[in-house]
Amino acid sequence: MTKPALEVRSLCKSYDQGRIEALRGVDLTIDAGEYIAITGPSGSGKSTLLHMLGGLDSPTSGEVLFKSVPLGSGMDLDTYRSRSVGFIFQAFHLMPTLRAVENVQVPMLGSQPKRADRAGRAVKLLQEMGLEHRMNQYPNELSAGERQRVAIARALANDPEILLADEPTGNLDSENTARILEILTGIQERRGMTLIVITHENEVADSAARRIHIRDGKVQA
Amino acid sequence: MAPQLSLAGFVWKNLWRRRLRTLLTLCGIGMAIGAFVGLVGFSNAFEHEWLRIYSSSGTDIAVIQQTFLSSSMDESAAAKLKTLKVVADAAPMIYNIMDLTPEVNALAYGWKADSYEFQSLNFLSGRAFHNGQPEIILGELLASDLKKKPGDTLEIQGSTFTVVGVYQGGSALEGGAVILPLDQLQMLGSMPGKVSTIHVRLRPAPAGENPAEYLKRAQAQIEAALPGLRAVPAAERASNNQLVRLAHASAWGTSSIALLIGVLGIANTMAMSVFERTREIGILRALGWKRGQVLALIQLEAVVLGLGGGVLGIVVGWGALHLLAALPQTASIVSASFSLPLFAEALGIAVLAGLLAGALPAWRGAQLSPVEALRHD
Repeated sequence: MTKPALEVRSLCKSYDQGRIEALRGVDLTIDAGEYIAITGPSGSGKSTLLHMLGGLDSPTSGEVLFKSVPLGSGMDLDTYRSRSVGFIFQAFHLMPTLRAVENVQVPMLGSQPKRADRAGRAVKLLQEMGLEHRMNQYPNELSAGERQRVAIARALANDPEILLADEPTGNLDSENTARILEILTGIQERRGMTLIVITHENEVADSAARRIHIRDGKVQA
Repeated sequence: MAPQLSLAGFVWKNLWRRRLRTLLTLCGIGMAIGAFVGLVGFSNAFEHEWLRIYSSSGTDIAVIQQTFLSSSMDESAAAKLKTLKVVADAAPMIYNIMDLTPEVNALAYGWKADSYEFQSLNFLSGRAFHNGQPEIILGELLASDLKKKPGDTLEIQGSTFTVVGVYQGGSALEGGAVILPLDQLQMLGSMPGKVSTIHVRLRPAPAGENPAEYLKRAQAQIEAALPGLRAVPAAERASNNQLVRLAHASAWGTSSIALLIGVLGIANTMAMSVFERTREIGILRALGWKRGQVLALIQLEAVVLGLGGGVLGIVVGWGALHLLAALPQTASIVSASFSLPLFAEALGIAVLAGLLAGALPAWRGAQLSPVEALRHD
């Protein structure tokens, strides 16, 4: 039996002194190596759930467990993010002053002490993304699809067990959407990673092994 | 080979990204450090020249009043000093800064005609003065500034004096000074029989006695023989006399204000930088950067600004010192000698300024919630 990568228990998150309830008692188990798509309308709590799963924020109540260890109390969120999670954003969020290959090295600055090792790993990851000829370009010299591929390489820099993607194809055309999907599913299969994608797009959601729909801060059956 | 990213490289790229702001901040801290180097260098040079006055004449000890309120003592103390075994010679004197013309002020000394201090002067023209005569001798720099030569007259405080000699002094301060007979300066100052200090030349230390110990013993003997007076070693007197202390205080006071402005400049730059890069900080946190790493990044940027400004300031201050050393008005008291301790001090202050200025913005950046930071526009 596969061990859960993440367990979410009675997760609640509210803002503005409890006036806004983004999550209202979410329970969820995600197995290691699973590919999940989280769908739902805008404001349903998808991104809040992703932030909780990625250790970017703490819940108001309830807990998130990574390999049965509660985040926050049992494991430092900074450590969790640096070792176990990789993030991909809709807007790519690359550092504009850094070349593609340097952007990929950013997460490794704290975890990988040797410069040459960092650069070597960044090159390999960009090769894996088919960007070996674009590694010295700055973000503004890359197409949207290329930027997202650099962002995926950056998310993989510290060899995480979980990849979290927030609308990774939201800013891409259909051709690039297909390419990114192919890359993400390929990575998930080859590395046996847990892949959690938030999406509005059916094409993306359909590619996942399991779909979770969220509405009004609750997981719909 | 692929470019390798380091924290220092990342810092540099962040600063380079907003070149104009970085340059303006560098100019701000550079001017502050330049003011520090120029002013403190000026006061240090002043102290150094003062010390040369003592060393060139062979003065070991300066005897002064013990209280800070009294600025004069009886001239007769010099005769008592000469009776002590350790004392080879004693030279009573007055010195002060005096307005010679509306444009020119200079150090004015009152010496006795038989003072051993004359041994450190090299007469370029004319002769020494006589006691009781309205005669003066001028340092070469002052003579040139006033366009005076032996035989000319100069009015000082309403009295007319004849220039009888032009000399080259043992120090630049003496080179820019006017020396009068002691009795004439006492009359000008309405303080007959009073002097401001007595310079003492000691006999050589007895064989086998440590020079420092000998100096201490001589000080004790002098102070025992002349109650109420202090015997101060020349080096200490050079750094502690009122004029030097005033120069140091002015230099540090003015520099501190300039440095405060420089620190505020860096703090403003870093605060703006953190505000503008809030989302980037959120991304870094999402990518696994710990609070300490974010803090280090921002703090390092501030330190680099401080360091860069420090180097710029040293160049500016060094240039200002060279300029002052070349100007006739200040050439007598400024020498643009290379001072490693001063430059190291300036660089240390610049780095400290960067650390101080970056501390609050760095702390603020490190405290940002990753989610809040990612939502920032």
